[in-house]
Amino acid sequence: MKKKSAIVKLSILGGLLIIGIVLSFCSFNFGLTKYKSFANSIKLGLDLKGGVYAVYEAADTSASDFDSAMEGTKTRLQSLIVSKGYSEATVVREGSTRLRVEVPDVDNPSAIFQIIGKPAEVKFILDETKEVVMTGSQHVLKASAGYYEGAPVVELSLNSEGAKKFGDATSNNVGKTMSIVVEEEGEEPRTISQPTIEVAITNGRAIINGMADYDTAKNLADQIMSGTFDIPLSLKESATISATLGDRALLLGLIAGAVGLFLVMVFLCVFYRAFGGVASFCLLLYTVLMLFFLAVLPWVQLTLPGIAGIILSLGMAVDANIVITERIKYEYRNGKSIMASTHAGFKKATIAIIDSNVTTIIAAILLLIFGTGSIKGFALTLLIGIVLSLFTSLFVTRKVVKYVVTLNSTNPKLYNLKRGKAFENVRADETDAELQARLDAEAAAKRAEKEAKKKAKKAEGELNHETV
Amino acid sequence: MKLSNLLDKELHITEKKKIWFLIPAGVVVLAAIMMIIFTFTLGGPLNLGMDFAGGYTMKVQLGTKLTDSTKQDYKNMVTDIAEGLSNDQGEKYGIKLSGIQEQGSGDQASLYIKYKAVASEETMEDEINPALKQALQESIFKSIPTLTASGGTVTATYSAPLVEKIFETVEQSVRAHLPEGVSVSAVTLSEDKKTVTVQTSATELSAEQLDGLKSALSYSDSYSGLVSDGDIISATVSGELLTTAIAAIVLAIVLMLAYIAIRFELSSGLAAIVALFHDILIMFCFMAIFHVEINSTFIAALITILGYSINNTIIIFDRVRETVKTQTGKMLTGARIANQAVGDTLLRSFNTTLTTLITIGMVAIIGVPDIRIFALPIIAGLLAGTFSSIFIAPSIWALIRDRKRKPKDKVQTDKKAAVAE
Repeated sequence: MKKKSAIVKLSILGGLLIIGIVLSFCSFNFGLTKYKSFANSIKLGLDLKGGVYAVYEAADTSASDFDSAMEGTKTRLQSLIVSKGYSEATVVREGSTRLRVEVPDVDNPSAIFQIIGKPAEVKFILDETKEVVMTGSQHVLKASAGYYEGAPVVELSLNSEGAKKFGDATSNNVGKTMSIVVEEEGEEPRTISQPTIEVAITNGRAIINGMADYDTAKNLADQIMSGTFDIPLSLKESATISATLGDRALLLGLIAGAVGLFLVMVFLCVFYRAFGGVASFCLLLYTVLMLFFLAVLPWVQLTLPGIAGIILSLGMAVDANIVITERIKYEYRNGKSIMASTHAGFKKATIAIIDSNVTTIIAAILLLIFGTGSIKGFALTLLIGIVLSLFTSLFVTRKVVKYVVTLNSTNPKLYNLKRGKAFENVRADETDAELQARLDAEAAAKRAEKEAKKKAKKAEGELNHETV
Repeated sequence: MKLSNLLDKELHITEKKKIWFLIPAGVVVLAAIMMIIFTFTLGGPLNLGMDFAGGYTMKVQLGTKLTDSTKQDYKNMVTDIAEGLSNDQGEKYGIKLSGIQEQGSGDQASLYIKYKAVASEETMEDEINPALKQALQESIFKSIPTLTASGGTVTATYSAPLVEKIFETVEQSVRAHLPEGVSVSAVTLSEDKKTVTVQTSATELSAEQLDGLKSALSYSDSYSGLVSDGDIISATVSGELLTTAIAAIVLAIVLMLAYIAIRFELSSGLAAIVALFHDILIMFCFMAIFHVEINSTFIAALITILGYSINNTIIIFDRVRETVKTQTGKMLTGARIANQAVGDTLLRSFNTTLTTLITIGMVAIIGVPDIRIFALPIIAGLLAGTFSSIFIAPSIWALIRDRKRKPKDKVQTDKKAAVAE
């Protein structure tokens, strides 16, 4: 590679990084539209930014087993809120008769006003015998809106007792009709649909069709869910709430991150000199990309554990660079030239880095699937971070190191490289001519092969043309 | 001695494995002793935070008085009152606020505080919560005038106009709490109802006497705000949440073990998992020994170290794998291979730990208290992770490898290895 092209490529990358940093941190007006920087577009959780809260009160405290019924209701309410997309919401018992819900990143309290619909009871009744097969409050675990054969429906997942009853009833009554009746408080029961049982349904899932549109289905699903609460709830108050960690948590966190990153870059530059400079460049690029993805991915909501995920993946990005550089130093110590050391160093470090990152990716994916609330947030930022860290350290660092070494492959002091005792007298570029020749030959061979293929294709095309 | 000098020497790490295994054992014993001590002195072996233990909440409704410019003062005031609250004998209850948030807007704007129980439920509900409510009500909603005195005449200026009824109360209070040897000739309210003038018989009032007058002139304005009753609140982290988190972590560990067993050897996987358990155990010990508050963020800290520790160990086992594959490696003992791998990656281990410590250390130094509590176990786990990846995991791997081979082989291979080198 020519020095000139290395300089050009380095300048382009540098320019791109500067543009990235500007886009990450500076919001500005662009003509009539306002551009919002990546850092400003990240959605924040309850602990960093606040949100809204609501307090629900038990409408009926006379139940004999009130305490455990309240616990059950708390769990149901939690799953209802999560199913609405507020996975970071928390539900706690306040006093003995109230439930307090806190939902992050919503600034309109009436948005969660509607979480609990008017409770409704759904009944599945066999038309022939008028036998009630199952009811929403006793047999439904979860109700949600969805589509079935293109039409909006309410999907019910049943508990084991419900699944058995529904299975028995459907297998014994194939060909007959079943009414789905909804009873709302203070209203006449209405029959929503009356489907004919075509096959026995034993998988514990039932659907209610005959919905006018998706919103109707959604409303009914919420109402059925509310009907499954052991204790009916009524909204007592709801309003906005400030961040649990206080206003300054985010600002101080950002300052801490920036200072930490700066110190790490200084350390890398002092300890590894030019390689440290390259690593610092990649860390900045990593930071910009991280902010970009946190801002654009719709399901990211940054919380304190999420920040931990970022710190961990930043640590792993730094580590990947250190592993590579230490490997290059090791190869140089054992007699290879600077250029050969970088090649060998990358090759060998890549395996170690991939192995160590894959294990963390496994952990992150599992936590993402099975974790709840803040743990999910942690796993998500960690996963994004690791993928970006792999990309910047294995792809970008490799290229940039190649360009830098092209500019100077004779001065080991520039890279803080030292020879081992046995190789003290070997020059820094001892075998480079040979290596370069081999690499050039490989590249030339590749190019020739490509060209040959192209020619062959072209010839083939012409041949086809002629036959036509 | 320079660190890089270590590179040319052979380390003897696996040989001293007894020492390495004894250090964490010592930490665990210390933690157990501390937990027993804390059970008797502080009421519980671990310092469980509100997320796990639940606690109490109170709402201080300030209405429109709560603005961007006053909220910090009010927050400080409420915190000072709650944390300085003491009983009749002047002993502090030791309340610590674990959260103070603004909630609502307009007339409903209030401060919402959370704190852990510091005594039995009965004492909390009968004694401490009412005391806190009263203390907050009295000091937050007190309207205190500014006094100017000239000779025996004192002028008190209020921020808001006084209604007739309150002026009467104030007048009565002044007449009832007069300094000794002083009598009042007149108490008058100005036109704009914001200033009260008190004419006394004294020619000069001392600072002490003025203070007495000031508190007599202050009145509690219960209309300006309200402190709600202290309410018990349940833990945010439910048993169910904890169970799913633990199940996810266990499953993650099993799959990681499988991956390492495929890519490396089963013995490497086992050694890495032992190191992982070591790190988690040390983090728990750290929380126990220093009685640091454990909240839901601790779960995130644990998982962070889980990822970090495995990463550290694998980098070393990568070197081990490389040496084992070579011709000389096949003849070397596990102990020698492990020592060499640790030596080759020593600088990397130091530098990576240092850089990660810099980032998390900054968070611990600069962050707000909650974030500090979050950073502490991560720092402990980071150090434990570095220790286990250098000293424990390679030692265990070497132990397993060398046990598989017969002792006779070992002597021979060692000799052969020496010749090969």
